[in-house]
Amino acid sequence: MARLEVEGICKGWDFPVIDDLSFSVEEGEFFVIVGPSGIGKTTLLRLISGLETPDQGVVRVGGRDMTALPPYRRRIAMTFESYALYPHMTVYENIASPLRARKAATSEIDERVRSVANLLRIEQLLQRKPGEVSGGQKQRTALGRTLVADPEVFLLDEPISHLDAKIRHELRTQFHALEDLRRVATVYVTHDYAEALSLGDRIGVMGAGGQLEQVGAPRDLFERPDNIAVARHMGQPTINVIAARLKRRDGGMRVDAAEGTLSFRIDDSHAPLFERYTKDDVTVGLRPQFLRPVKDGQTAADTIEAEVDIFEPLGASGIMLAKSGGVRLTALTDPEAHYDAGDRVTLAVSTDRFHFFDAVTGRNLAGSA
Amino acid sequence: MAVTTANSEAQLQQTSTVADRWRAVRYLFLAFMALWLLFTLFPLYFMVITAFKSAAETNLTVPTFWPNEWFPQNFAGVFAEATNFNALVDSFIIATANTALALFLGSLAGYAFARFPKQAGGENLAFWILSNRMFPPVAILVPMFFLFDNTPWGTDSHLSLIILYLVFNLPLATWLMMVFFRDAPREIEEAAYLDGWTPMKAFVRVTLPLVLPGMISVAMLCWIFAWNEYLFANLFVGTDVRTYTIVIPTFTHGSQTLWNLQMAFSLIAMIPPVTMFILLRRYMVRGLSLGVVKG
Repeated sequence: MARLEVEGICKGWDFPVIDDLSFSVEEGEFFVIVGPSGIGKTTLLRLISGLETPDQGVVRVGGRDMTALPPYRRRIAMTFESYALYPHMTVYENIASPLRARKAATSEIDERVRSVANLLRIEQLLQRKPGEVSGGQKQRTALGRTLVADPEVFLLDEPISHLDAKIRHELRTQFHALEDLRRVATVYVTHDYAEALSLGDRIGVMGAGGQLEQVGAPRDLFERPDNIAVARHMGQPTINVIAARLKRRDGGMRVDAAEGTLSFRIDDSHAPLFERYTKDDVTVGLRPQFLRPVKDGQTAADTIEAEVDIFEPLGASGIMLAKSGGVRLTALTDPEAHYDAGDRVTLAVSTDRFHFFDAVTGRNLAGSA
Repeated sequence: MAVTTANSEAQLQQTSTVADRWRAVRYLFLAFMALWLLFTLFPLYFMVITAFKSAAETNLTVPTFWPNEWFPQNFAGVFAEATNFNALVDSFIIATANTALALFLGSLAGYAFARFPKQAGGENLAFWILSNRMFPPVAILVPMFFLFDNTPWGTDSHLSLIILYLVFNLPLATWLMMVFFRDAPREIEEAAYLDGWTPMKAFVRVTLPLVLPGMISVAMLCWIFAWNEYLFANLFVGTDVRTYTIVIPTFTHGSQTLWNLQMAFSLIAMIPPVTMFILLRRYMVRGLSLGVVKG
C-alpha cells in the first residue's frame, strides 16, 4: 500500500509559503490541488518529492517517513511545469533514464520504454531530441519518463497548462485513460478549475494562507464552497459576488446590494441558514449560469432589469457583462443569442441558487458540507 | 485628404533621411572593420613572409613585402638542433596538463559556486578567486621563483609550470564554468535526481553535457594562455625543460637576430592552436552563446 500522507508541513523563505498544511492521498486516488498562480503549489510538490526540505512536518509514503530521504532514494516521480527534459538525449533515452538509474536490464528497458511510448502515442518520436518535437510531445515525453519508473507517488505540476486548448483537452482525456495513474497516489497541481473538476477524485483548493482552504469531491467544491475564495476560484466565468444587506420580513427575505439599488428576493429554502446568523451584512454569491436573459415572450418568477456592457459570444455559450442598479453582474446566455453594448435586458434570477457568506470572514453560512 | 498626403510625404522624407544616416553609419563601420583587419592581419602576413626570407633580406633597411628569394630551408634550420623540437613537446605537455587540471578543479569549484553559493563561501570568495587574475604577473614573478625553488622538483620542471599557470587559468576556468553552470537549468538536474540518479551521477550524465560547449571554450582559452606564456617560463625553466617561447629568442647569430628562423619557428608553433581552434570552432561559438540556445 502506498498511501501518501503530508502532515503539518511548513516551508518559508522570507515569508511563509506553506503553513501547517496536511492532507493524504490514497493509493489509486487522483488528488488535484487547484489554486491561483504563485500560491505555493509547486513548492508543495517539491517538498513531497524531496527537492526541498520542509521547515516542519512529515511526508509519509506507505506509512514510512520520507522527510529525511533525498529525492533519489524516494520512489516518487514528478513532472515539471517546464518539462525539464534532457536536451542532449533522445526521447527514448529521456524516458529510459529512471530505468537506467536503477540499472535495469537492456531488454527490460527497451520493452518498458516502447510500451510507455506506445501508450502515449510517441513511439515514432523515440529517436528525436526534445528540441525537435512539439510542446505536446515534450509533455508526453516528460509524462513517459515518470510513468516508466513505476513509482509509488506521482506528482504532476501543471502538466498541460502550457499547451494549446485542443491538445490540452486531448491530454486531459488521456489522463483519464492512463491505467498506471490509477494504481498509485497521484497529486496533480493546476490553476485551471476545469482541469481539476475533470480529473480529480478529490480536489484541494489552495489559498493565500499556504493552506488548503477546502478539500472535497468536485461537485462539493462547486456546489458547497466553504468560503468566497473557493467559490471564486471554482467556476468560469467567476461567480458574482455582491456585498449586501439582509432584509428580514414576515413571510420572506430580501437582500439589497450595499451599493446601488439592486435588490433580490431570497427563496424560502435558504431561510434556515439565517436562524443562527444575527448580522444584517452578508456577502451574496450567484453563479453566472443562474442569471440568464429572459427571451421575448417568456416569463420568469424573479427578474431584474439590466443594461449590457460587454457581450462575449463564445460559441457554446455567451458571457454577458451587465450593470443593474449600479452593480456589475456576469450572466450566461444561450449559444445563439446576441447582444450589443447598451441593450436593455431582463435577467431571470434563480433565487434558490444563492450562496451566502459571512460579510467579514467570508465563510459560507451553510457551513462546511 | 490633402493634409494627410502632405503628412505622409513629410513622413516619407523623414524615413529616407533616417535610412541615409543608417547607410552612412554602415559605411563608416565597414571602413573601420577594414582598418581593423589590416591592423590585425598585417603582422601575421609579415611573419609568414619573413619566415621564408633569407637572413640577409630580413636585415634590409627598406623591408621587402614579398620575398626576393624564397628560403623554405629556414624550416629545416630551426630543427638543426634536435632539442628545439623537444621544446614544442615540453610546451605541449605543460599546456595540456595545466588545462586538464584547471578544467577539472575549475568545473568543480564553478559548480559549487553556481549551485551552493552559501556553502561554497559566497560571492566574495568567488570574486576573490577571480581577482587573482587582476594583479600584474610581474608582481609575483620573484616570490614565485623562490617558492618553487624550494619544492623537491625545483623550478626547472614541467610540474612547476603546470602548477604555476593554475594561478592564472584556475580563476578563469572557475569563473566561466560558474557562469555556464548558472545558465544550465537547475530543473533538468532535479529531474535526474527524481529519476533516481545521485547528485554525482546526475552531474556527469546531465549537467556536464549541457555545459560541454562552454567547457571546450574554456579549455581553449586556458590552453592558449599556457602555450604562449613567456614571462615565467623564461625565469623558471631552461635546462631540463624548455618551452618553445623561450627557444625563439635563441635564434641569433652573434649580435644579429635571425628573424627568419624566429618567424619560421613561430609559424610552426602556431599550428597546434590554430588546428585546435578550427576543429573546435563549432563548440566555441555554441559555448559563447550557451545561455541563448538552451532548452
